[in-house]
Amino acid sequence: MSGIYTYKNVLTDAPAGAASPLAGVRVVVQPNISVRGWPCDAGSKALEGFVPLQDAEVVTRLKSAGALLVGSSRMAELGFGLTGETSVRSLGEGADVAAMTDTMGEARVASATEGFFGFKPSFGLVSRFGLIGLVPSMECTGVAGRDLNSIIDIMTTIAGKDPNDPSMPDEPPVDFTSTPQGFEGPFRAGIVKESLDLLNETEAHAFKAGLARMEAIGAAIEEVSLPGYSLFRAVHNTVAAVEASSSAGKYDSVRFGHRSPQGRNWNEMYLASRGESFRLPVKAFLFQGAFFQFEDYGAFEDACRIRNRLVRETTDVLGAVDFLVFPTRRMEHDAWAAGSVRAVYESFMLTLPANVTGSPAVQVPGCAVHDGVDIGLQIMGRRRDDARLLSAASAIASSVLRG
Amino acid sequence: MTFSERLHCGLLGLPDVGEEVLLAGWVDALRDHGEVLFIHLRDRSGIVQVVFSPGPSGAEVCTAAAGLKAEYCIRVKGRVVKRIEGTENPGIATGEIEVAATELTVLSKAGTLPFPISEKSMVAGVSAKRDESVSEDLRLQYRYLDLRRPTMQDHLVKRHRVAKIVRDYLDEQGFVEVETPMLTKSTPEGARDYLVPSRHYPKSFYALPQSPQLFKQLLMVSGMERYFQIVRCFRDEDLRPNRQPEFTQLDLEASFIEEEYLYSLFEEMTVRMFRVGGVELPRPYPRMTWLDAMNLTGSDRPDLRFGMTFKDATDVFTNTGYGIFKQILGRGGCIKGINVKGQSERLSKNILQNEYAKEIVPGFGAKGMTWMRVVDGGLESNIVQFFSDAERRGILERFAAEKGDVILMIADPSWPLVCSALGQLRLHLAERLGLIPRDVYYPLWVTDFPLFEATEHGVTSSHHPFTMPDRTDFDPEKVDELLALKSRAYDLVMNGEELGGGSIRINDRALQNRIFKALGLSDAEVEEKFGFFLKALEYGAPPHGGIALGMDRVVAMILGTPSIREVIAFPKNRSAYCPLTDAPSTVASAQLAELGLLDLGGAGQALPGGLEQQDLVDRLVWVSRIAIDDAERADIAAAVADAKNVAGLVRNNSGDDEPMTSVVVVENHTREGTTARVSEFAQTGEIFKNAPAEKGGFFKVAAVLE
Repeated sequence: MSGIYTYKNVLTDAPAGAASPLAGVRVVVQPNISVRGWPCDAGSKALEGFVPLQDAEVVTRLKSAGALLVGSSRMAELGFGLTGETSVRSLGEGADVAAMTDTMGEARVASATEGFFGFKPSFGLVSRFGLIGLVPSMECTGVAGRDLNSIIDIMTTIAGKDPNDPSMPDEPPVDFTSTPQGFEGPFRAGIVKESLDLLNETEAHAFKAGLARMEAIGAAIEEVSLPGYSLFRAVHNTVAAVEASSSAGKYDSVRFGHRSPQGRNWNEMYLASRGESFRLPVKAFLFQGAFFQFEDYGAFEDACRIRNRLVRETTDVLGAVDFLVFPTRRMEHDAWAAGSVRAVYESFMLTLPANVTGSPAVQVPGCAVHDGVDIGLQIMGRRRDDARLLSAASAIASSVLRG
Repeated sequence: MTFSERLHCGLLGLPDVGEEVLLAGWVDALRDHGEVLFIHLRDRSGIVQVVFSPGPSGAEVCTAAAGLKAEYCIRVKGRVVKRIEGTENPGIATGEIEVAATELTVLSKAGTLPFPISEKSMVAGVSAKRDESVSEDLRLQYRYLDLRRPTMQDHLVKRHRVAKIVRDYLDEQGFVEVETPMLTKSTPEGARDYLVPSRHYPKSFYALPQSPQLFKQLLMVSGMERYFQIVRCFRDEDLRPNRQPEFTQLDLEASFIEEEYLYSLFEEMTVRMFRVGGVELPRPYPRMTWLDAMNLTGSDRPDLRFGMTFKDATDVFTNTGYGIFKQILGRGGCIKGINVKGQSERLSKNILQNEYAKEIVPGFGAKGMTWMRVVDGGLESNIVQFFSDAERRGILERFAAEKGDVILMIADPSWPLVCSALGQLRLHLAERLGLIPRDVYYPLWVTDFPLFEATEHGVTSSHHPFTMPDRTDFDPEKVDELLALKSRAYDLVMNGEELGGGSIRINDRALQNRIFKALGLSDAEVEEKFGFFLKALEYGAPPHGGIALGMDRVVAMILGTPSIREVIAFPKNRSAYCPLTDAPSTVASAQLAELGLLDLGGAGQALPGGLEQQDLVDRLVWVSRIAIDDAERADIAAAVADAKNVAGLVRNNSGDDEPMTSVVVVENHTREGTTARVSEFAQTGEIFKNAPAEKGGFFKVAAVLE
């Protein structure tokens, strides 16, 4: 087994007929997406030895569309950050696309580091049934790939209402099929002036290069203001920590996962098993969640109030412009090396707003480049405007190819 | 009409037909027939049907009645009428009549009920037996609703009746009920005490009484002669399903009496108590010495509703060639057995060997079990070939064995072990084979208990150190002599349960001193623990003795309830917790500080609200049940400090929007085309594939308590 995969599928299934929409597309999944019979530990000792009894809805749909599930990658513990994450690396080694959970920008930042496309769909489009999640109100299955078309194909397959996921809204489906050719320029793109303070000199130059690329295909760039921008991180941190602490409650060492031999009684069994199950920084994150839950619940409610305001401000701004544009990753804050909750948050500062608001966002490689450094160009759209967002990204990408 | 004119629902009948009555109670059930609405109105006395129809009731009352729901508290005026032939309901006592309502007042509305309360069907012949699957904790959380059920009210009424019979009878016999204190001194004997901290004496504690033992003896010294009390006692013992941390005891003590007086008093009293449940106990109650009880049933509280008592077969094998028996007898052991009459069909070789000999009996502490099935021409067994002809004949004779019987024997060097293991086996088989007759009550006095039990260092009291021995001429330094002493103690046992027990007490200070000496207690220890009591024995203490009876258990047995919680109004649950009030609970540090308890344990000892609990990270470790090690502590403390800062930031910027928990609008609705069902993974057992530990179709976890 290579260092990339925790499990490599033995592909014995007959190749799907050519008529299958994903015939021959090789997909890698993170080990937090349930595949019946595959080990699936979400990178955590809390799920030591866990083998799902059922496929995730995403997996069911991929299989029936003829995709080849090549295996599962390694991932950061419970999908918090990118330490140890390998699914994007697999794109060079046996896989065409990676299905990975995007909770604060993981799919986009990972793709930006490796020079790939990365897409986080609107919240509520893709079923979370069978996803071993951490932050239910923010996470969704994203897709990383070498080209946008395969991402669009995957989205066409996996998006859509699933009665088994009660968190999905009753909304009409988003039509991805007309995406590649559907783009009708020109468009208005906004840059959030409050976000520019985060950039160092190289990043500012690279971002400018990315904007120039957009202008070249007819985009009108204008500066807009999101007064609450600086609060995105605090809101994400508070809400996500509380949801994570709550989600991790199920790791009780009773029905699955790691059981410590230490506990002589029930409380000690919980304490020891859960103590041994989680590593830093997830463990520290869970303590933050417990702090808000048990010591300062008012702060959680306040964060939810601010979240409401941020969603409204974002919606308002996206009424005036078609998209918002940001860089994707930060050169001085390496998501792959982040060892503390604070460092993890620093590295996803540019991507996490889309998770707070549930907006779709796509990372495009090859345009925000300066001195050979590609920080990634991130375009974020209105919720449920995923298809148009991907069209715009396609237009930019083809202009890059054309030089 | 005022409430003073109110009549009781359950007492109405044909003689009341034509009367105008005022009733008040709760809506037990409703049946809506369009124009006509029937309700069952329930008060403590029972149920009567009330009819609302446009004619007699009028449109206004009918409209008001249409808004009624179960358990509304209402007042109804109406006329008693005979039911139309064919519509009588024999399921309720008032089933021949109904009340045609003319006035209705809703006294108090009721919210959605956590579980159904009605126990009576409104239609003849239809069972309204409520769904028994209501969880007990839910019942206890809403105990005030649970107690509205006629069954539960009946339990409380009968319990009251039993207590009243006790008081009346003992009053007749010259007993006086005297109250003894609840806040007393902790004594290190018996079970753990519940402690009550004293504010006036910091770091000092009262104890709640485990029983009023010493006080009732002091009342005898006081010359009260005949005392009793129905009293709450407290014991902080390990959790058991049918045990309560506080329980009610009938406590009794009398002077100038012998055992016979108490036997006769208690027999007459218990006979009267059991009559409340319609049970007639036969007097006199049989008696059995402790030694016989052990030798025949392996238990000091024998269940004699069925036979299968032990036979000793040690002498049959005195000269045996069978190695295992020979070795056991060589070490002074014994062999006892039971004859399971006529059950060889149901106890196959496989069950006897693989279940009982290999699994069940070793669980009772014995190393093995010998089984023999009686067949044509002798015994069938895996070891019978090692027995001589004489031994085989001896067995058949000793156990009066006939074809179809199964003989089970346990041999061991230790007599108590043989008795205990065989006793448990006897009960196990009786339960499994259905040999215990229902509705049979077998009271029994067990007498002549050993006064002392052996310990590593000497002896300890079997009962308590104030129990009178059968002889007083013993040498307190000779352990063998001490272990041969019998006590003048007695237990009242019924159907394998101990209902109560007591003893004749020591009233002589010198004898009491020798008992303490035998127990190895120094004068200083004795003085500290019992000084106040021993001093009382120096002032003309009369000869006296007494007995105590567990009221909860007796009432539960009289009423035939599955647990004692069914006969207690507000019990704790199996975990000694009260779901209604959430007791026990933590208390504020200020309260502990006031009691001087914060620094009680000294350094390094955790106390609720103490310094260690004050540490934020440790508190979070506890509430989130995630242990941390020293290497992680600094990082986690830093992350929690960050969280505190974030909390400050969001607080200062919160604004006044509504909190948003999801960016999408999610409607709750039932999944289409599905019905409630058991997961196929649960049915196939596949669900256990990922379990760290499974046992017999359950997830196995650590014990609730150590």
